[in-house]
Amino acid sequence: MPHLAQLALSDEGFVFDPQTGDSFQVSEAGLFLLTAFKAGKSDEEAAALLAAEFDVSPEEARRDCTDFRGSLKNFGLA
Amino acid sequence: MKPFVIGISGINAVDNPGPGIGVARSLKEDAALNARVIGLAYDAMEPGLYMDWVVDRSFILPYPSGDGEAYFDRLSFIRKQAGLEFVIPNLDAELPLYIKNARLIEERGIRTFLPTMEQFKLRGKDRLGEVAGRIGVKLPKTKVVTSLDQFCEAVEELGLPVMVKGSFYKAWAAYTTTQAIAHYHALVAEWGYPVIVQSIVTGDELNVIGVGDGEGKSLGAVGIKKISVTALGKIWTGVTVKQRAMLEAAERFTREFKWRGPFELECIVKGDDVFLIEINPRFPAWVYFATGVGVNLPSRLVRAALGEDLPPAPDYDAGKLFVRYSYELVTDMVKFQQAVTRGEVGMTHDAMPT
Repeated sequence: MPHLAQLALSDEGFVFDPQTGDSFQVSEAGLFLLTAFKAGKSDEEAAALLAAEFDVSPEEARRDCTDFRGSLKNFGLA
Repeated sequence: MKPFVIGISGINAVDNPGPGIGVARSLKEDAALNARVIGLAYDAMEPGLYMDWVVDRSFILPYPSGDGEAYFDRLSFIRKQAGLEFVIPNLDAELPLYIKNARLIEERGIRTFLPTMEQFKLRGKDRLGEVAGRIGVKLPKTKVVTSLDQFCEAVEELGLPVMVKGSFYKAWAAYTTTQAIAHYHALVAEWGYPVIVQSIVTGDELNVIGVGDGEGKSLGAVGIKKISVTALGKIWTGVTVKQRAMLEAAERFTREFKWRGPFELECIVKGDDVFLIEINPRFPAWVYFATGVGVNLPSRLVRAALGEDLPPAPDYDAGKLFVRYSYELVTDMVKFQQAVTRGEVGMTHDAMPT
């Protein structure tokens, strides 16, 4: 989490990692989740916020949240 | 205010650029320093000779070989002609001569701010393990060998692929034993022994530039990642980073070795592990990147050498982008003529012969 907390996020979904110099582009939903994680929300809390914001079922939001968390891990960000 | 006359070598701003133009630009950006830049070149084709908005006057020098007598006589001549007061040598091949003869140069009225010979020797790849240990970073598994038998044993022990490196210059990746042996012979033929065999470490290639004051204090450091490089492996685009472990290692490097002068640490970072790959005891060619983000290391080096009490090194932002580009200038042939016939460019009273 400390690494994730340092990520710089732009409104357009451009993500910069100041530790490694890597940059990423995330979707609107990805940006929403990253912002939630950076604010210290748990996966469950983030999924609930995602479901409300994007009008999707809680189950779909949880799945997206888990997938996104997996991607972050793959990139060494979480 | 009288200009401060500083000689800068490495003004070969070509596809494998020397650091000189970046150093010169940095000095010019410190208006209060009032630097008059003298380009020190080895060839009439070095672009810096013709870049008169950065380099005020230039001289061709003999190569820094032998005992350096001709070289230092030329520096004395430049002092007499152009008031040379300080030199920042920026090329690897010059450094041993300058460091060995630091006192002689000083006696001729020209100052430098360089590492000691003992510090300079630390850049040898056979010494990297010692440096890495003392600054708290890792070294890829490394074997230093002095015979073909030892080399083959080392390759076997480390396992392919490996990096095959000269003690100071050249490095190749080898994916087969045959390839490794070919690199070994090429290195021995060109640079002699020892040869270094190293495991290949994958990760982010990050570098840090810094200057030490010679008493253990850092005059500033900036970390970067090379985003794209040329076919020769030289940075073309890059971004500033704040990799904590690497910046702390640079700080320890200046403190632990009381490093004097500029340096660059080349590292590979994987997670929290920092691997030291190379030490360059001079400014890298991308030195202007640091200046561009507010850390003017050439200026701080000169000011420290002059005994100024400098404020703490300024901080910089991560995420600043560096983009190198190609550009052209058109000038009069008289400048080339001056470089070839007089070994000097930048005199105002000369005209093209008719």
